[in-house]
Amino acid sequence: MQRQSTGYLFVLPALMLLAMLIAYPVAYTALLSVTDNQGEYVGLENFRRILAARATPIAFWNTLWWVFGSIVFQVVLGVLTAILLNQNFRGRALVRSVTLVPWVVPGIVAATTWAWMLHTEFGIINYMLTAPGLIDEPVGWLTNGRTVMPVMIAINVWKMFPFVAIMVLAGLQSIPNDLYEAARIDGASFWEEVWYVMLPQVRMVIVAVTLLLVIWALNHITIIYAITRGGPANRTLITPIQIFRTAFEGVQFNQAAALSVMFFGVAIVVVFVYIKTLASSGDQP
Amino acid sequence: MRMKTTALLSAAIAALSAGTAFAGEVTWWTPNFNEARAKTLVEKFQAANPGITVKLEVTTTDGLPQRVLTALQSGAAPDIVDVQHGWVNGYAQNKLVLPLDEVLKDREDYIPAALEYVTWDSKLWGIPYRIETHAVIFNKGDFTAAGLDPNKPPQTWDELVAAAEKLSTDGKSGFAITGGGEVGNTIFRSLPFMWMAGGGIISDDGKKVLVNSPESVKAVTFYTDFFKNKLSPASTLENDGTANRRLFIAEKVSMYQSGQFDVPSIKKENAKIDVGVMPIPHPEGSKTAAILGGWSLVVPSSAKNPEEAKTFIAFLAESDSQAVLTDTFPARISAMKAERFNDPILDVFKQMLPYGRPVPAHPRWVQISQAYFDGIQRILLGDEDAQKAMDGAAAEIESLL
Repeated sequence: MQRQSTGYLFVLPALMLLAMLIAYPVAYTALLSVTDNQGEYVGLENFRRILAARATPIAFWNTLWWVFGSIVFQVVLGVLTAILLNQNFRGRALVRSVTLVPWVVPGIVAATTWAWMLHTEFGIINYMLTAPGLIDEPVGWLTNGRTVMPVMIAINVWKMFPFVAIMVLAGLQSIPNDLYEAARIDGASFWEEVWYVMLPQVRMVIVAVTLLLVIWALNHITIIYAITRGGPANRTLITPIQIFRTAFEGVQFNQAAALSVMFFGVAIVVVFVYIKTLASSGDQP
Repeated sequence: MRMKTTALLSAAIAALSAGTAFAGEVTWWTPNFNEARAKTLVEKFQAANPGITVKLEVTTTDGLPQRVLTALQSGAAPDIVDVQHGWVNGYAQNKLVLPLDEVLKDREDYIPAALEYVTWDSKLWGIPYRIETHAVIFNKGDFTAAGLDPNKPPQTWDELVAAAEKLSTDGKSGFAITGGGEVGNTIFRSLPFMWMAGGGIISDDGKKVLVNSPESVKAVTFYTDFFKNKLSPASTLENDGTANRRLFIAEKVSMYQSGQFDVPSIKKENAKIDVGVMPIPHPEGSKTAAILGGWSLVVPSSAKNPEEAKTFIAFLAESDSQAVLTDTFPARISAMKAERFNDPILDVFKQMLPYGRPVPAHPRWVQISQAYFDGIQRILLGDEDAQKAMDGAAAEIESLL
């Protein structure tokens, strides 16, 4: 008994810090969501207003596309890169470091650079495509309703796949050589090694990394906001940007808080379901 | 959640940096383009008022509204902030700034629209010191090449369209509109056309939606048709005012709307262009219009030394100070006499000032203008025609009033 309370005493400073940095903002956001800007209780009025906004359902579907598209390609590309970087070839160290570049570049720098590269008139991408005659007219990558979201996802994939690659690579390197040798004695081909040795061994790494990617994609702002600000006509508006817009551009902190609370709920459910289905089944290999 | 953490964090940082305020010290946030001129004024003021020290903190315009708002909300704001006229009303309604009626002298010397901008609940919440409007900047060389007279620029909408059609040759665009970037870019360029036609986004009293009235739709059609008829660049949907200036400098655009601040950078970056300026063309039989833009000084409610701040603002509001501090034109009529405003290239911009109108003051103006802007983008994307897009915007705005 005595010992336990001493323990609490020791963790108290850390708990207080956590409470200030996490619990207080969460509680305050919840409070903001049910009050008006004078601090009066208004019930669910803020929720009703923000749900009635035309942009809200658009942002919701965009967010789904954005998260799903980003994750699938980030994981697939990242795992393939990791398998490649795990092979023995000349210049491997160099390739490994170069792969990291997109991840190391600050998000805002990458976003602004891409925005310029993709510009219809000045962009190098259109220049490279039109100069050799591959296409006749420059493509409005960021102004065409059909291309703008895929382009955003592509930039996000480019930005984050190195992270997946490095994490999975670390997992691959911890696989004991015996497993490969055993597989080879049994006559496994390279792809069978990948499928039956590598992937099962790094499964937990992939699960954890994917969870991180989902969370990051869910509360992402930088790339999209810096390039399109959610436009054109809300084609790339995702919920975090809508929250940011409502709060800091529209000065409707209470509605933004209401949207945050709902978004928080959705995110918790997504993460919970994900952990339940994927992470726990990994316990019985 | 995220926003709250950000707010808290910036509050903490602001508290740390503001913790060193002493009695008699006034902290003034001014944008970087004001830095040199502000320094001169601070020195002049301190020489006359030895009891007050002014600490200048330079801000950047990018992201400034968010930064100012966070500082005001957190309660750890500086004593004086430079803000755009349009932001002041929102601050006043949320009790984030102090009324400044006692500071204002010579009320009749101010351009009325400028004071109207920063008035709410019949009190004055900011002291305007800088005003400006747009005009149309054009390339005189392109006019001559297209067989148009650069000394007789278009005056009406029809003439503007006809000129833009003639100028749109060899990959050049006659008249560049904006359809991207921050919402304000497109509001500043399209709302005046709606006013000229007798429409608007909302009524001045903020009670009626005008965005889908026949007059407004006519103006929106006029504006967006420049893109639909390929008189504005293919990149219109990603272009803001800065992008249009760059295209003008690259000689890809012959006419575009902007303020006088664009002229020096055009001359610096492409001296070959012979720059002309014309008033914004209007429909046959009606007057031109423009949005009055510019900057005001406000005192946050949480200022440490509001009295000293007011003394300093009173000094900055003097006619002589205004003539120095503004980057464009001063808000006081008497300050306009200063030598620096006599450049002939400024004549048209000066002529436009009396036609400048404030944007409607509404607590949800930012969301209203966003709803309108989304509608404009739907037209430019080809999703909807002008009437349908504006009906959609009207429904959205209706729920915000």
